[in-house]
Amino acid sequence: MGIEDDDGNDTGALFQIEEPVAPMRKTTVPGRGIGIDLGTTHSLVAVAPCGEAPRTLGDADGRALLPSVVSYIGETPDVGWDARAAQLSAPTRVVSSVKRFMGRGTADIEFQHPYRIAALGDGAADVVRLEVGQGRVVTPMEVSARILEVLAARAEEALGETPTGAVITVPAYFDEAQRQATKDAGRIAGLTVYRLLAEPTAAALAYGLDKGGQGLFAVYDLGGGTFDISVLRLRDGVFQVLATGGDSALGGDDFDRAVGEHLLREAGVHTPTVLQREQARVAARDAKETLSTAETVSVQWEGGPALTLTRGQLNAVIGPIAERTAAPCRGALKDAGVRARDLDGVVLVGGSTRTPLVRNLVESIFRRKPLSDIDPDQVVAYGAAIVADELSGYAREGATLLDVAPLSLGLETMGGIVEKIIPRNAAIPIAARQVFTNYSEKQTGMMIHVVQGERELADDCRSLARFDLSGIPRLPPSMARIEITFELDADALLTVTARELMTGVKQTVEVKPTYGLSDEDVDALVIESLDNADEDFARRNLAEARVELGRVVLAVSAALTEVGDVEGILVAEDRAAIVSALADGEAAMAPTGPTEHHEIVAVRERLEHVSEAFARRRMERALLAGMEGMSLSEVENTIAADDTLDAKRGSHEAEQIEKI
Amino acid sequence: MDTPEPQVEAPPPKADIAADTIVVTARAAKVMRGQLEKRGTPEGAIRFGIRGGGCTGYSYMFQFEDGDPRGSDTVVEADGGVRVYVDPKSMRLIKGTKIDFETGLRGHGFRFDNPNTSTSCGCGESISF
Repeated sequence: MGIEDDDGNDTGALFQIEEPVAPMRKTTVPGRGIGIDLGTTHSLVAVAPCGEAPRTLGDADGRALLPSVVSYIGETPDVGWDARAAQLSAPTRVVSSVKRFMGRGTADIEFQHPYRIAALGDGAADVVRLEVGQGRVVTPMEVSARILEVLAARAEEALGETPTGAVITVPAYFDEAQRQATKDAGRIAGLTVYRLLAEPTAAALAYGLDKGGQGLFAVYDLGGGTFDISVLRLRDGVFQVLATGGDSALGGDDFDRAVGEHLLREAGVHTPTVLQREQARVAARDAKETLSTAETVSVQWEGGPALTLTRGQLNAVIGPIAERTAAPCRGALKDAGVRARDLDGVVLVGGSTRTPLVRNLVESIFRRKPLSDIDPDQVVAYGAAIVADELSGYAREGATLLDVAPLSLGLETMGGIVEKIIPRNAAIPIAARQVFTNYSEKQTGMMIHVVQGERELADDCRSLARFDLSGIPRLPPSMARIEITFELDADALLTVTARELMTGVKQTVEVKPTYGLSDEDVDALVIESLDNADEDFARRNLAEARVELGRVVLAVSAALTEVGDVEGILVAEDRAAIVSALADGEAAMAPTGPTEHHEIVAVRERLEHVSEAFARRRMERALLAGMEGMSLSEVENTIAADDTLDAKRGSHEAEQIEKI
Repeated sequence: MDTPEPQVEAPPPKADIAADTIVVTARAAKVMRGQLEKRGTPEGAIRFGIRGGGCTGYSYMFQFEDGDPRGSDTVVEADGGVRVYVDPKSMRLIKGTKIDFETGLRGHGFRFDNPNTSTSCGCGESISF
């Protein structure tokens, strides 16, 4: 509290310049967002600055793919091709496929891996830590961060400037812990993570599938070691993942191994050495890639015979393996409750989808030609780059409404006034909460009316949902605390939760994607709010004045009833004055009452004035009664608790909650 | 205790509020510039406006702004090139406001003399019109 001037002049508060409320947006520079596909076997970085077409960024040798492998053999970690080459020589000190460990506890690791997992210290969080030699212990987040750093450095070189933020893709099935671990990795790498993006959504965005506004899509992602299938619904420009499926131990590497074994048999090698097997595998991979376009290929490795492989032979070997992707595809369609013929498109992701046999298989499963124009290794990074460009503050043409709340989201409060919880243009996902209170002690429920728009009164906004929170304990006015949380997730789904903090009663409503609105609609609504600003403010002021008067009338009437004629508190003369002021107050609140908020304020102030002495005497008595038997420290604690509450109640700004 | 502002500087009546603009004193502009530099964003701007509402009325918004002004913003250029953005909705309620910087026993801070306000609350952070 400031020091009051002696003569009581209000000199006004002193203000400081604050940081903008949405911290995510403060460092954005249009065109300086990067998109990262942090893959199990390979990672990529792409940019699409200021509306340009996305492009991936290569290393000094022009290679876009960076093996997701980190070597801890040397003093400083080594990332990429050299690390991968060193893997055979020191399998426990070179970390690959670290994505499988992200966000997992030690008990979750049920798959095969060559690493030594450090024992958990007492009371330590259950995070997997890998022992990588010489006493060094690393978390999966740190390993991922090393990969991200290399990609970020690439981007910095290409852009000529430090990227201001990144969009990192994650599998659609990643849970909260895995997503958080990925965000942490970004933070460790010194990146501002604008947001995470589901890999299938990124692929769909790279193809511009969001432009149609509506649709059902499948994304078939066959990578080196994993297979994922996702079914997405696009509604009103927002993608929603309907179902996912796959096989975490099925990929192009299985093709290479099988073809390698076939080649060894052809070469008459029945008990291959480790070296021969590796040579055959590499030859098989090269042959497979050549056969994506050619019909036959000659194969030979050092010390081996000259062989020929036809596409027919290749297909015979890999066909049964590829066929294993069919069941998860059908399962995902079933889970999503859609039929193959309902789909509007199928997107291919992952290098293994270059194989003609796989494309034909996908076509037969989904009964349509899959989209394959974009390099399937790069398509996810492209989508991430497009979203990163938008989040960096560049308004791309035809951009989806995915990333910001186009209109404010709020609640109707007493008097039909709108309290905005999530402001217009807030970057999503976002969560914000605000504590509300009761209006009268008779109130045992609260009607929550969720509205969208820029106007001051709920009637002028778009109504999204209404629900009731019942079971609020009977408490004196302003004593109940109801916390309302608005969560707008990455898919623009709004979840509103109301919770009474004393009893914990809770009620939640989910509002399905809210944006049945075109850009023009949004602009029109904003302009409308400007055109009506003066009138809106007047109406809001009037409504607020009425609410405030109503509150005082209620409180004073309740107090009058309560005290009855208790001696010494209220003399007849004072009572008559209060009763008369109360009648004025009720008249002022009637529909026929004044329409200028100043008049209502005056009525309220008169009522407060005549009842002031009465209120003070009542307060003193209550305090005396309440403090009886309490020690001084208890009294102080009670007051401190009340102050905290008041501070919480008094803040008329939603508090933002840090979320994804 | 510092001297209260002389009463002759009483705000002009509402009818006299000039065009849609605000005034930033040289002293305030200098502090803004210093703070922007200290923050590492010398080219940044300040956004000044009114926000919210709710049970206690309106409050001022006064914050750093890194982006370009929005199309409908008024950009006020103060001494030394410091820019202050005001959105049109807020402008209706703060036009004619003088932003000054005050130092003294009450601490250091910016002070807004807004001719549009009818009352201020005790802390001065909530306002009504």
